[in-house]
Amino acid sequence: MIYAAFKRSDFAHARILSIDTSEAEKLPGVIGVYTAKDFGDYIKPGPLQVPPPTAIKGSTYQVRTTLPIAIDKVRYSGEPVAIVLAESRYIAEDACDYIYLDVEPLPAVIDLEKALEPDSPLVHDDTTTNLAAHVVQERGNYAEAAAKADVVIKRKIHVDRVAGSALENRGMVVNWDERAQLMTIWCGSQSPITLRNQTAARLGLFENQVHVITPFTGGGFGPKINTSLPDDVLITYLAKKLGRPIKWLEDRRENFLSTTSERDQVHFAEIALTKDGIILGVKDVFIHNSGAYNPYMLTVPLNTQTHTVSNYRVPNFYTEIKMTWTNEMIVTPVRGAGRPQGVFVMERLLDAAAKELKMDPAEIRRKNLIQPDEYQVHTGIIGQDFVEGVLDSGDYPSSLAKTLDIIEYEKFRKEIQPRLRAEGKHVGIGICCFTEGTAVGPYEGAKVTVGSNGKVNVATGVASQGQAHFTTMAQIAADQLGVSYRDVNVTTGDTAAFAWGAGTFASRGITIAGTAVHLAAGKVRAKALELASKYLETPQEELEIADGVVRVADMPSKFITLGDLASRANPMRGTFPPGAEPGLEATAYYGPPYGATGAGAMAMIVDVDPETMAVKIDRLAIVHDCGTPVNPMIVEGQVHGGVQMGIGNAFFEKIHYDENGQLLTASFMDYLFPQATDMPAKMELGHVEVPSPLNPLGIKGVGEAGAIPTPAVFNQAVEDALYDTGVEILESNLSPSKIFTYVKKAKGK
Amino acid sequence: MKLEGEHVFNGPREDVWEMFYDPEVLASAVPGMDKLDVVAENEYEGVMNVRIGPVSGKFQGKLSLTDVVAPESLTLNVDGRGAPGFAKGVGKATFSEQLDGTTMLKYDGDMSIGGALASVGQRMIDSVAKSMIRTAFETLDKALEARLAAKKSGSEVVDFKAPTQTEFASNVAKDMVGGLTKVPEIRIILYIIPVVIVLVIVALLLGK
Repeated sequence: MIYAAFKRSDFAHARILSIDTSEAEKLPGVIGVYTAKDFGDYIKPGPLQVPPPTAIKGSTYQVRTTLPIAIDKVRYSGEPVAIVLAESRYIAEDACDYIYLDVEPLPAVIDLEKALEPDSPLVHDDTTTNLAAHVVQERGNYAEAAAKADVVIKRKIHVDRVAGSALENRGMVVNWDERAQLMTIWCGSQSPITLRNQTAARLGLFENQVHVITPFTGGGFGPKINTSLPDDVLITYLAKKLGRPIKWLEDRRENFLSTTSERDQVHFAEIALTKDGIILGVKDVFIHNSGAYNPYMLTVPLNTQTHTVSNYRVPNFYTEIKMTWTNEMIVTPVRGAGRPQGVFVMERLLDAAAKELKMDPAEIRRKNLIQPDEYQVHTGIIGQDFVEGVLDSGDYPSSLAKTLDIIEYEKFRKEIQPRLRAEGKHVGIGICCFTEGTAVGPYEGAKVTVGSNGKVNVATGVASQGQAHFTTMAQIAADQLGVSYRDVNVTTGDTAAFAWGAGTFASRGITIAGTAVHLAAGKVRAKALELASKYLETPQEELEIADGVVRVADMPSKFITLGDLASRANPMRGTFPPGAEPGLEATAYYGPPYGATGAGAMAMIVDVDPETMAVKIDRLAIVHDCGTPVNPMIVEGQVHGGVQMGIGNAFFEKIHYDENGQLLTASFMDYLFPQATDMPAKMELGHVEVPSPLNPLGIKGVGEAGAIPTPAVFNQAVEDALYDTGVEILESNLSPSKIFTYVKKAKGK
Repeated sequence: MKLEGEHVFNGPREDVWEMFYDPEVLASAVPGMDKLDVVAENEYEGVMNVRIGPVSGKFQGKLSLTDVVAPESLTLNVDGRGAPGFAKGVGKATFSEQLDGTTMLKYDGDMSIGGALASVGQRMIDSVAKSMIRTAFETLDKALEARLAAKKSGSEVVDFKAPTQTEFASNVAKDMVGGLTKVPEIRIILYIIPVVIVLVIVALLLGK
């Protein structure tokens, strides 16, 4: 095994004058040092990971996908300029220090608003503007609505960046077997099949000459969806060229610098209402930071557009994306993926409206929610799956009511808060609603096989990073095949076990792949019943499948085990009926017409220390509708994890670039991650179950729910706690010092 | 990063100015500065060892003085690069005579820092910069005192800083190895030699 390390640019934006690798090459133990020129034509911009928004009329876009290694210019600090292979990682890292990169520094494009000004430096020299995409979508006519409104409220709102912060960083071992002409890649990935396909295409191999295995992976949270990043592009090439296995594991600093992250947007938003607090329209023009390249196109900002107003009745909605390149790391989804920004903007607007109209924040929301008898709701806004967003099902008023109930909203407002305020305490409450567009296409598949041992194997193309697919998919198959879920083995993320699929993203694993498992298991069930009917000489209608056997329903002693059926389904001698398929095995695929939309509401009670601005979350309540839960305990786990991430986004985490594009938060010393002790003293969950009509199991996703509303609720609660200062906080990713600064400004000091 | 402040030197302006122009004095004032060579008028090149929190390494630096109005003011331009990142800065220094015969130095600069220095060492940079500036002024104060004393006694030897035994020892070692340490292999050999010696001694001891 040999080891790789990357020499990364310290500069955010610079022209490369020379890269001197001669000293590094002399270091004993170094096998090779490679810069762009050593790869020749192999170095070109990578494939688009997501197609452009051609479905949206009038949208314009430019494509500049990720370069695997900088050629003549570096576009973000952390971009690789050379890769070192050595006998050990230590030597490889040392060698990086002996690579001399001579550059001419250029002014960095960092500020989102300045990036789009005509005199801004350009991230890509062959363009005339940093505007990477421009998309306008409108339903109704906002301008007319605003003209008729009693109040129009305008705000500038900023959402900052966060990292995925998976416990396990990215990494891979790549081996090329010359004799077998087979490449094996072991890695942590959310999309092993895409990785396989893109690697094969790049190296001129058949897809089945690349075998990707993603073993148990310590968290994904979005960034691991990416393929054709510098590491996998360069390491696969070198492993094949040298014929030696290569290992690379990202360290935390590399993860912060150059694996993707997300959230950075500036919104110019307005809301038009009647004096009774009925929403007439919303307008939102926002700049979305795409980082140095845009391989992921518009997934994130389209999610922002679809999630801004989705749970409220907003007859007129104008939404405009201006996506800009900057000299920062590439932006791709992080758990939430554009949704938290949309919800943050809408909820902040509603808070401002409630204050202006002297309404209770819960009341203004209740008044405007879509009602349970309105489904299906066609939103008129095209989303990340390139079809019009349709709200398939839900009961938003119940989620809100239940949340208010759990947090004892009335009691808090009328009894607890006045009492504590009288004691000089600064306690506040926040309440927000949200939707979670989940389970988008295109499709996933599954293969279900009954072995002659009577046990069941399920293989699917999605990879697992801690979502408990091994439990939930086993449950789904077990239900169909009448076996214990303990007798179902689930294989995920091994391209040799299942070769088709898109990946684990957009809270779609259990809805899309889980439904495919359900359908495939259903086919196996039908096969088993058909075979057993012949063997037991009993019509299928009189058979039942349970306890690992197929038996005659009213004569349980007359049965055949699934294992025996599996053996009989695969005769080694004798005859085989025409048209039959061997084995108790079936494959099925599922793709939805559009995604299923989960929803919910969250409330939070905070206690703010007015001197230090430390915020303690006393209580948090969240009610969520993910349709029919496959496993309630796992749903709760997903919500807990999402809330933890949401709290991090609200008050701890922030990716901070300075004005020169230097990342100032590249370790957990500076990037503050919430600890167990920062979680709410009391966290309560509630459920609303409205099955989705889109799939036979009635499932909607839940993976991102907790992360979506938390920053919005947090800001509202903190403002409520600091009621006596009149502070309004129009940005997320707060910190005690930031709140302190806002309060100082509100007090006019 | 903004760097601004002032310092009062206990001596006349001409002497302070002269001292600033002596690269040896400047080099000695900066902790970790290995050397500072004159490459042209008002242009210096140097090597500096930087240690900021978890980040450490060698910096190759260029220092130039512009807008020189002797003995009143000058602009310092620093451009350093190395394994731990880079630092680039511009600072203006003005020297003014005070009524009591002392000299007031006012400095006002802007420093941009990149690489691991910024991304990992950022939290420490402010305090490290402050302590470096403080140490520098302490050394310069002593240097000035020594120079003024030498001037008074007419002695030519300006002895302001006796190196400690360990500094002396490490300097000797550095001189012995000389320029060789720039080649990585030799650096590794230098690490290996003591290890081999220790192993031989251990083997001998065990043999007994």
